[in-house]
Amino acid sequence: MDPAERALLESTVGDAIAAADATAIDAALTDLGWLEMLDAEPRAAIEIVFHALGATNGTASALDDVMVSALGIAPRADLAVLLPAFGTWDPPGHLDGDHAHADGIATARASVAREFVVVCTSGTDLYVVTVPQSSVDVVPVHGIDPDARFARVHVDTGAGVGVRLDPDAWEASLALGRRAVAQQISGATRSMLALARTHALERVQFGRAIVRFQAVRHRLAETLVAIEALDATLAAAADERTPLTAALAKATAGRTAQTVAAHCQQVLAGIGFTTDHPFHRFLKRTMLLEGLLGSSDDIAVAIGRQLLDARRVPTLIEL
Amino acid sequence: MSEPGGGPVISDFRAELHTWLDRHHDELAPRYAAPGTLDEQVAQMQRVKSILFDAGWMRFGWPEAAGGLGGSPLCRTELGASLAARDLADPGLFSLIEVLAPTLIDFAPPALTAEVVPLLLSGAEMWCQGFSEPGTGSDLAALNCRAVPNGDPATASSWVINGQKVWTSLAQYSDRCVLLTRTGSTESRHRGITAFFVDMDTPGITVAPIEMINGVREFAEVFFDDVVVPADRILGTVDGGWAVAMSILPFERSSCFWQRIAYLYRRLEQAVEIAPDTDRNAEIAGNALVHLHALRARSRATQHRLADGATLGAETSIDKVLVATAEHATYDAIRRLLPAAVAVDDDANGIMWRAEYLYSRAATIYGGTAEVQRNIIARRLLDLGPDD
Repeated sequence: MDPAERALLESTVGDAIAAADATAIDAALTDLGWLEMLDAEPRAAIEIVFHALGATNGTASALDDVMVSALGIAPRADLAVLLPAFGTWDPPGHLDGDHAHADGIATARASVAREFVVVCTSGTDLYVVTVPQSSVDVVPVHGIDPDARFARVHVDTGAGVGVRLDPDAWEASLALGRRAVAQQISGATRSMLALARTHALERVQFGRAIVRFQAVRHRLAETLVAIEALDATLAAAADERTPLTAALAKATAGRTAQTVAAHCQQVLAGIGFTTDHPFHRFLKRTMLLEGLLGSSDDIAVAIGRQLLDARRVPTLIEL
Repeated sequence: MSEPGGGPVISDFRAELHTWLDRHHDELAPRYAAPGTLDEQVAQMQRVKSILFDAGWMRFGWPEAAGGLGGSPLCRTELGASLAARDLADPGLFSLIEVLAPTLIDFAPPALTAEVVPLLLSGAEMWCQGFSEPGTGSDLAALNCRAVPNGDPATASSWVINGQKVWTSLAQYSDRCVLLTRTGSTESRHRGITAFFVDMDTPGITVAPIEMINGVREFAEVFFDDVVVPADRILGTVDGGWAVAMSILPFERSSCFWQRIAYLYRRLEQAVEIAPDTDRNAEIAGNALVHLHALRARSRATQHRLADGATLGAETSIDKVLVATAEHATYDAIRRLLPAAVAVDDDANGIMWRAEYLYSRAATIYGGTAEVQRNIIARRLLDLGPDD
C-alpha cells in the first residue's frame, strides 16, 4: 500500500466510523471490507481501524476478528472470542475431558454472536473449543465506560474435545490483540492531545491564552513525547512480530494513556471535569483498554521476571 | 568484504562485524579492570580506533574524500553501538567523532578534510568541540568568544581569538578544536558566529580541566588569549558558523543516541545479572526495559529516516527528551537494584556504578536542557505559537 492509498484509506475508515451510529460501527466496518483487509494487509488494517476507533472513541468488536484470525480460525461477524478476565492474559478457559470452564470478558460482539471461541489449557496443552451462545452466561459490564459494551462471560459446559493448538498459538493471538488495543489507545491519546491543545489556545486567563504559559506548554510537549514513543513501539512490534515486542507496546500504551490523561485533564481543568466536554469519554475508554489483555504494571513485572530468570536484557529491534 | 549500503545489507554488516569483534576480542579488550581512569579510557579508545581503522571497520560509512570507504552511515552507527555494548569504548567519548568529523566533511576545504579526518578516525588524534561558554549554556547563540580579522574580514590571512569556552569534553587530550566564535555584534546572535578549526598547540590556549560531580575530569575550561588562527581554518563562511553548529544536530540526535542506547541496555543487563531475584526487582527491571525499548524504537526509526535521506529537524527533540528520560530511568533502576553498589561499595563495581549514576544526571542538561527541548516541541511540533 503506497502512502497515498494509505492516507485515503485512513480518511475513509475514520469518516465511516465517525459517521456511524454508536451501535452500527461494526456494520460500517463490514461494509468497508474490514475482514478482507485484515486477511490481505493485517498490519495496515489493524493500524488504521484501531487507530480510528481510538480517535473517535468508537465501539466495535473488531478485536474478536483480530484474535480469532491469529488463532488460524476464519473470523466472522457472529463469532466472538472469549478474552481473559480484566487485567489478565492467560488463556481464559480450562478443558477438563470434554468439559470447558472459563471466565473472562467479551466485546460488544457477545450480544450478537452465535458462537464463542474459547482457548483452553488442559495440562500443558492448548486447545480451542467453539461453544454456542446458548451455553454461555453473558452479563453486560456497566463499569466505568458502559458505552464500551463489554460483557462478563462465564462458560461451564460440555464442549467436545476441542481442537489442539500449537503451543505458541495463544501467545500469537494475544500479541496481535495487544497490538490492536495499544493502537486504539494511541488513537485515543491523539484525540485527548488535540482537545487539550485546542482548549489551551482558546482559553484566556490573566489576560492571555493559557497556551502562553510554559507550564501548560510543557505538559502538552510531554504528552506528544509520550504518544510518539508509543507509536514507535507499535511500529517496532509490527516490524518484529514477537510476543515480547507486542507486550512492550501494550505496556507503553498503558503508561502513555496515564501520562496523556493526566496532562490533558490538568490543561482542560474545569471543563475537562464535566460530561459536557468529550474528554471524559477518552479517559474512561483508555482506563478500560489499559487493563484489557494485561495492565502496564503487570506486563512490566512479567517482563522483568523474564529478565531476572535469564539474567540478560534482550536488545530486540536491530537497525 | 563488500561495501555495505543501507537497508537489509546492514544486518550483513552487523553479522560480519560481530564475528570479527569476537575473533579479535583479546586484542581489543581493555588492559585494565573496569572502569579505569579517564587516561586509561581515552588511551583504550584511541587504541581500539587504530585497530579498527587498520582493519577497515572505522572507515565504513565515511566518504572516500575523508579517508573512508563509503557506504551507509548506518555502518558507523552499528559500529559505535557494538563497541558500547561490548565495553570496548566509552560511547560518550567515542561518539564525539559523530559531532566532529561531519563538520569537517561538510564545511572544511577538501584538502584539509582529506588530511585531518583520517587522523581522527584512526585514533592518531583527539579533537574537541568548543561551543559552550560560561554565559552560554542552552542558549548557544549568545556566545561571546571573539574572533577579529587581521585586516579586512574578506581578505585577512589570519584571525585573532580571545575568550573562554567551558564544558569542552576531553580538551586536555585534544590536538584540535572545532571552535565557535563571535564575529558579528553580540546582538547579531546566530547571524554573527564563525567556526574555526584550531590547533590546540597554538600559543595562547590554556586548558583547565573541571572535576565533575563523579570525580572525573572529562570536561575543561579552555581560555583563548590572542590566539592567531589562519583564515584557511575557517569552517564554512565568515558569519556562517550557526549552520556549522546546526549541521551536527542530525548526527548528535541519531548515531550518537544509538550508541548511548546500546550502552544503557548493557548497563541494565549488568545490573540484572547480579541483582537479587525478588518480585520488587522484577518490577524495577521490567519498567526500565519498557522505557529503554520505547526510546530504542523511536531512535531506530530516526536512524532509518536519516539513512533514507530525510532532513532531521525539530522532531529530534522528542528523541532527545526520550534519551534523557530513559537514561535517568535506567540509572534510577540500577540504583534501586544495586543500592549498596552506588552508595557504599568501594570495589571496582561500586566505583563504576557510582560514577555512572552521577554522570547520568547530566542527560537532561547537556545538548539543550530538557526544558529547552520541551519549548521546541511546543513551538515547532505542536504549533502553539510564541510563549512570551
